[in-house]
Amino acid sequence: MLLEIEDLSVKFKTDSGMLEALRPVSFSVAESEVLGVVGESGSGKSVTNLALMGLLPANAQITAKKILFNRKNLDLNSQKELRKIRGSQIAMIFQDPMTALNPSLTVGYQMIETLRCHFDISKDVAKKRALGLLERVGIAQAEKRFTAYPFELSGGMSQRVMIAMAISCHPKLLIADEPTTALDVTIQKQILDLLLDLQKENKMSMIFVSHDLALVRKYSHRVQVMYAGEIAESGRTEDVIQHPHHPYTFGLLKARPSAHEGGAKESLYAIPGVVPSLKARPTGCQFHPRCSRSTDVCVNVDPKLTGTSQKFACHHPLETP
Amino acid sequence: MKDFFLELSRDIRKNKGALAGLVLILVFMLLAIFAPLLSPYAPDQVIEGALRLPPGTQLNNNFFLFGTDDIGRDLFSRLLYGSRVSLLVGLSVVVLAASLGTLMGLLAGYFGGWTDRVISRAMDFIMALPSVLFAIVIVAVLGPGLVNAIVAVSIVALPNFTRLIRAQVLAEKNKQYVQAARLYGASHLRILFKEILPNCLAPLIVQGSLGFSDGVLNCAALGFLGLGAQAPTPEWGTMLSDARSFLETSPWMVNLPGICILLVVLSFNLLGDGLRDALDPRLKNRA
Amino acid sequence: MSLLQVKNLKKSYVTKSMLGKDEEHPVLKGISFELPENKILGVVGESGCGKSTLAKVLTRLEEFNEGEITFNGRNLKDIAAKEFPHEIQMVFQDPYQSLNPRKKAWEIIADPILVTENISRAEAKARALEMMKKVGLLAETAERYPHQFSGGQRQRLGIARALMLRPKLLILDEPVSALDVSIQAQVLNLLLDLQKEFKLSMIFISHDLTVVKHVCDETLVLYFGEIVERAPSAKLFTDPQHVYTKKLLESAP
Repeated sequence: MLLEIEDLSVKFKTDSGMLEALRPVSFSVAESEVLGVVGESGSGKSVTNLALMGLLPANAQITAKKILFNRKNLDLNSQKELRKIRGSQIAMIFQDPMTALNPSLTVGYQMIETLRCHFDISKDVAKKRALGLLERVGIAQAEKRFTAYPFELSGGMSQRVMIAMAISCHPKLLIADEPTTALDVTIQKQILDLLLDLQKENKMSMIFVSHDLALVRKYSHRVQVMYAGEIAESGRTEDVIQHPHHPYTFGLLKARPSAHEGGAKESLYAIPGVVPSLKARPTGCQFHPRCSRSTDVCVNVDPKLTGTSQKFACHHPLETP
Repeated sequence: MKDFFLELSRDIRKNKGALAGLVLILVFMLLAIFAPLLSPYAPDQVIEGALRLPPGTQLNNNFFLFGTDDIGRDLFSRLLYGSRVSLLVGLSVVVLAASLGTLMGLLAGYFGGWTDRVISRAMDFIMALPSVLFAIVIVAVLGPGLVNAIVAVSIVALPNFTRLIRAQVLAEKNKQYVQAARLYGASHLRILFKEILPNCLAPLIVQGSLGFSDGVLNCAALGFLGLGAQAPTPEWGTMLSDARSFLETSPWMVNLPGICILLVVLSFNLLGDGLRDALDPRLKNRA
Repeated sequence: MSLLQVKNLKKSYVTKSMLGKDEEHPVLKGISFELPENKILGVVGESGCGKSTLAKVLTRLEEFNEGEITFNGRNLKDIAAKEFPHEIQMVFQDPYQSLNPRKKAWEIIADPILVTENISRAEAKARALEMMKKVGLLAETAERYPHQFSGGQRQRLGIARALMLRPKLLILDEPVSALDVSIQAQVLNLLLDLQKEFKLSMIFISHDLTVVKHVCDETLVLYFGEIVERAPSAKLFTDPQHVYTKKLLESAP
């Protein structure tokens, strides 16, 4: 296991009190594995990633029973420890490439800066490596782009640059937080194919966060469905998508227009209700107000994640054939 | 709206500096309002034989808390009445500069084109000159006096408001809620005042607070140069100027008005800074 | 009878330069299509194809350079400013930006009728509350501010506002793109219901093919300012003709 997380929780200190963004969650990522993380707003998927990178705001409180990265203990509250692995062993690419790059520095400068931060090499060596990386991520005319500023690049190209920077230090784990949500569908495919290529080539593990189940299905080995700061279900991607046990997973799969079984312009299946606000969490199972299968036990007791290869947190899981 | 002010007051209470500033301002306001009750003498009342007495002197039946000046007037009373003048000055400057500046900023930002060019160049012109110098020129043209000093200082303060509002308008006018309003036929005026202006309040409040202290300071400067309030009006800056020659012999005549100016300006600056911190959404998530 | 007829619509943006020539960037390069009454037309394309510009031109937020737009038999440019809001309205993409943060929910919805009709605030509020119910929002949320609503609820507010003037044509610019998947379905169902109830014609702009396929009767595919294909939605997806349409469909996961 490359990454093992046990009981990671994140709370935010706000004027309205302590808000629990991430209830204690436990999961792991194996070497060379792509873990897809699916969730909607408030699910905690982004908070988890930011916590791993130490990028949460100052009012965040992170606690964990155990965090093992590469078989070594990792203290998410120690900026010192995080600085050593951030960028070099764990890298992250963000959703909006246009704002993730420094607008006043050229692409080349930013890449060289990243390389020289983690490796003791000269500017020339760094430049050569950077050019090689730009070519590897499919940027034609790498020399020309090297001296360009981020605003001169399109969304897709900016994302490629971000990927180049992220893999420049050969990280063991790449966290991709909705990397293609802001991009056109044709570019999306190119970027994700590229990521998957790089993942196989470098034997990198990847945490691929998305709200799009179809993408996660195509590009991940295992998937984890999150809801209101907890893990609802997890397992091998094909298993979860073909045989979901948690009603929320089932609802998500069914609510897509592509899954619609009726005729065009007929009502789509919609999960009733809304995601709970952090300030007013329901008791027991977080999904019970929206679940047609909920009973008394669901209102009172928050189900724990159970199961072997496929795990789910539900008192009345679906038994799909 | 109510929510906005509720949250704002809560944020101010958390910021110690802003709170201190606010308290001081309230103290001065109370002093100004109750000056006639609190001051033992009239501000231009001359007491026989009470020339340049140091603070705390008792002469016959008269007690001078802050001493007297070179004509024999009680300094404490004059400072109290002076607070009225200063606060009035600050308020007038802010009201004048903010209202005219906001209007110009709204027009420049929203309509662009020549309206923007003319207004922005006018503001550039004002900003290109050192503020006190420009104020002096205006007063020289209009003639010395408190009212003209207020006008001059207001003109000098205009660009702060105009540019601020213009920038906000530029940011807001292309937003989708403004487009929606255009789509249902809202007139330009309605959009400017009902849609855009309410969203420009936060920086306006901060600038208003800081503008107050600028106004007081600049008017005091003009008063110091003899171009603002004229004798016998008890304005702190004028009092400073009149006391210049007595700096070594009767320092309280200089120090006390100076300290008053300092405190008022400081309190508005503290409040303004506190408001800015409270209203800056990016600072929301500090621990 | 077609409600909307667009013939050879051209629009360019001009960047002015101080020295040298002004540069012209054509965004719409001669678009022609028709929208029959009571139908939903999908417009699909990627960034830079001109779909947002099309929306702005049709709502007269921007002017066009060449071509003809006929609405209900009349030239679009000839419709009086007072009449126009009752004919064409728009639902915007960004649920955060499309509502004035300083106004209450009912005020946002009631503003269109407060502007166009001579009615009291009380009456406007009553009608706004009615509309809120129609879009699935609780009356007690009427006094809240936008930041107190979720993305899906805000989008409902935007839809309510657009329908207050009972337009004949509703243009929707990526109305569900910014919403969570489980909420998208709710809002799409709402739109379909409202379309039937208010007998609306709609132009539904989206980059999401599966949504467009489900909601729209016919779909246009825009590529760099030109319509490259147009077909009834079902046929477009099962039997695409143009190379770009095929590429779009292939890229979708």
